Amino acid sequence: MSLDLFLDPNLLRLAVTIAAPLVVAALGELIMERAGVLNVGIEGIMAVGAAAGFLATWASGGNYVLGLLAAMLAGALLCLLLGGYSISLRAQQISVGLGLLVFGLGFASLLYRAVVGIQFSAPRISVLPALPIPLLADLPFLGRVLFSQDILVYLAFLLAPLVHLLLFRTSFGLRLRACGENPRAADAVGVNVHVLRYVAAVAGGLLLGMAGAYLPLTLTGGYSDGMVGGRGWIALMLVILGRWFPLRVVGGALLFAYVEALQFQLALATQAVPSQLLLSLPYLLAIVVLIRIYRGAQAPAALGIPYEREARG
Amino acid sequence: MSAQADAATARARGSAVGRFVFRETLPYLAAVLGALVVAGLLLILIGADPLAALGTIFSASLGSLGGLGQTLNRATPLILGALAVAFAARAGLLNVGVDGQIYLGAICATGVGLLLTRDTPALVAVPLVLAAGFVGGALAVLPAAALRAYWGVNEIFVTVMLNFIFQYLAEYLATGPWNDPRSGEAISRPISFAAQLPILSSGLGAHVGILIALVIGAILAWILRRTLLGYSIRAVGDNSTAARVGGMAVGRVMLVALVVSGAVAGLAGGIEISGYYQRLILGLSPGFGYMAILLAVLGRHRPLGVVLAGVAFAVLLVGSDSLQRSVRLPQSAVLVFQALILLAVLLATSLRANRRLTVAGTPGSTP
Repeated sequence: MSLDLFLDPNLLRLAVTIAAPLVVAALGELIMERAGVLNVGIEGIMAVGAAAGFLATWASGGNYVLGLLAAMLAGALLCLLLGGYSISLRAQQISVGLGLLVFGLGFASLLYRAVVGIQFSAPRISVLPALPIPLLADLPFLGRVLFSQDILVYLAFLLAPLVHLLLFRTSFGLRLRACGENPRAADAVGVNVHVLRYVAAVAGGLLLGMAGAYLPLTLTGGYSDGMVGGRGWIALMLVILGRWFPLRVVGGALLFAYVEALQFQLALATQAVPSQLLLSLPYLLAIVVLIRIYRGAQAPAALGIPYEREARG
Repeated sequence: MSAQADAATARARGSAVGRFVFRETLPYLAAVLGALVVAGLLLILIGADPLAALGTIFSASLGSLGGLGQTLNRATPLILGALAVAFAARAGLLNVGVDGQIYLGAICATGVGLLLTRDTPALVAVPLVLAAGFVGGALAVLPAAALRAYWGVNEIFVTVMLNFIFQYLAEYLATGPWNDPRSGEAISRPISFAAQLPILSSGLGAHVGILIALVIGAILAWILRRTLLGYSIRAVGDNSTAARVGGMAVGRVMLVALVVSGAVAGLAGGIEISGYYQRLILGLSPGFGYMAILLAVLGRHRPLGVVLAGVAFAVLLVGSDSLQRSVRLPQSAVLVFQALILLAVLLATSLRANRRLTVAGTPGSTP
């Protein structure tokens, strides 16, 4: 084994592709958490997004836009439900999130079976074609790694600076963050905390559903139960690892995606190591990262705390 | 005014018990009914007859001795898993790793069961295999427990990640070193016949696992109520800062709570091997870990509540297994029903809590 194996352009290209859904999911969660709404059900919402995205694309004969929209709608609806519980009903947010997680995992499977029925072989769609960017794609190394991806991957990495601008360079973003840091103060200056938290929940839901759709549309071309495979939890971790900053989230996502891609590469290169050990690598990495993750982490002060206008501050 | 008030208090006292039961159970009943309606709508959506499905669920799980035995067998890991989650929750910790602990418990139990010879007395073999499951579960949670106790690392993430790792370990063993070549499938060789869990009654076809689960539930309830450990766990769970200021070794209490929790879940894995499968198989858990979390919330983290909810979920699980055959419902559909029940109960309880807040906030309503 040489160093080339670890810096192989195809490996790095795959890592960037794998990072895309992680980036989108983490950005979705980040928006919600910045407004004070905690959602631990990402895994289930992504599963529904994956099923809805695949089914709409498959049923429409390969209309990817329709697939993406269906997944986003599903994610938004689920997060609207989450919002109803955690914003209006002031329910325990972790319990609601876990309920939604389990519901999503089961519902995705049910939805798939309801639409596809029993078939001899699982239906498939072709994954999005690569869309090389003119000129840039001809760059020697980076061209292959960064600029011959499919359109959704570009979109994912464009979303990070966009979310950053939205949160930190607009007054809307300022108000949204105020709802997560000090809702009482926000309320005092005329921000409607409940409405803004709902907006954040739905916006986050759109992205979470979309992240789910990335799996069949850019990675696998099919749907199977359990295909999210912990990505929802990793996205939840990435938000903490990235200290609730959109651009930092991208770095963490690339790290995890690199290890996941590397595991495929290693499986090809060596037969001696059991594949299950290689498959465990991303999860082992997650635990190692977790050890450092909380040092100095500063969550939005009102994260997970329902806001009551009438309560005494 | 006083005469009226006296009459009112007397009336209230007379029916206080009745009202308490009414108040406590009504939200649950309403919630379960609501969940059933939504589940029925979903069934119509996939083209099944909801009333017939409901009938199938109950007749398959409770309608025959064999079905009842099956329900008891399925209730065992559900109850143990939920007890595990509930116990950790009392210390303010969320153990999402019950699946991983069941897998490592099952792996250790299988490992011991494969080593035992046929002529080992059952009185030795069965406890050994179950103890292996217990230890396996404790080992499975140990990384999460130690990281939480000494470095403050969030136990939710670590236990989730360990789920995947132990499932891959089980897959490796079942397809690799322990594989049964005659089966042609991803399952291990059978464990020693001597290590099989005794049968409760041959008509039921249920093993004694349910009794073990109930005993464990009683022990955990006793620990929580009557021992210093239980007191510390509840203190840490209620307010860890106050517990720390009061001189408790909060980290160590968390460590013990999580290890006990993992061991109980691992025991479920051991029972599944010794009582049900006799081999390590891949689909050992149809999501027991997730169901256990729902159950712990539904049972309000109290052992008795968890046991009752666990039996109800077992009815759903066995019933939906049978629906899987008759109307070809996917296996994971049961997760939808169970999650719907939780969401409905959360809806009912938070609606009630909000109303109570409003009433309490109204001036003059408190005596």
